[in-house]
Amino acid sequence: MIESSASLQAKLANARALKDPQQLLDFIPYAAFIGAKAKVKDNSVIYCLDKRPSNIGNPSLPAVHGGVIGGFLELSASIEILYTAKVQAIPRVVDFSIDYLRPGRYRTIYASCEVLRQGRKLINVSVLAWQDNQSMPIATARCHFLIS
Amino acid sequence: MLKLAMERTGHGAALGFEITKVEKGEVELLFPYQVEVVGNPLTGVIHGGVIVSLLDTCCGSAAITILDSRVVTPTMDLRLDYMHPAEPFQPVYVSAKVYKHTANVIFCRGSAWQGDRDNPIAHCVATFMKVETSSISLSSVMTRQIKRLFRSKSAHLVKEDE
Repeated sequence: MIESSASLQAKLANARALKDPQQLLDFIPYAAFIGAKAKVKDNSVIYCLDKRPSNIGNPSLPAVHGGVIGGFLELSASIEILYTAKVQAIPRVVDFSIDYLRPGRYRTIYASCEVLRQGRKLINVSVLAWQDNQSMPIATARCHFLIS
Repeated sequence: MLKLAMERTGHGAALGFEITKVEKGEVELLFPYQVEVVGNPLTGVIHGGVIVSLLDTCCGSAAITILDSRVVTPTMDLRLDYMHPAEPFQPVYVSAKVYKHTANVIFCRGSAWQGDRDNPIAHCVATFMKVETSSISLSSVMTRQIKRLFRSKSAHLVKEDE
């Protein structure tokens, strides 16, 4: 299960060269656990979380678990850093904050990330999540990662 | 009830944690290490997203314990600070407490640790809304209306009998 640093470097080079961030998600077991996917659209990355029973939080609505939405957004932010910022190691999360704006219905959730600032040590990423309509977000998150 | 609902449905069942303490305004749980939720395959450390889910579940459960069953508590926001990475292959303990609740809002604090409770891997604050479930409030409104209708009808019938 433990991968080598060389295999991460190879995956990073390959994903950036082929413009295929999905290869980075495939490297991280937690991404498969929640079923997160990534694809490039108009030069930016869209992250998707398809509906699956193991992601349900409230079965009576049904709604996606708030913790899964949080985990998905944190994962998306770290993949965004690996894919777009010139870093060679998996970023370490320092803090994470999420505001839930609407319930996550039992449908696909989309997310997009924006790196707001990249310093030598620290990087700040903002994440937006939506379902049917990007102008009606279900959650917004921000996080800091250490990248050195 | 709370223990079963959290441990055995949807994402709770997938994560496989065990709720170890439920008191009014306080919940604790235990999460055994799982390779499926690794976030860093170079070290075997679990993903931060798992800590988000565990703390969200624990804080949400603590919020429920102070309310009656007609109220639901959607999460408004959640903020986590990661103090140090989790040790791989070790279980994670999580606790959450309600430290204030008002007419509309419940304020929770949570913490996740491994060996030493005073040296947490992460702590969080979370706020929850108090929302009357629409189905219940709708049905109680309907019940009231039916009762009123029934009273006026029976009064009318009584009058006719006279």
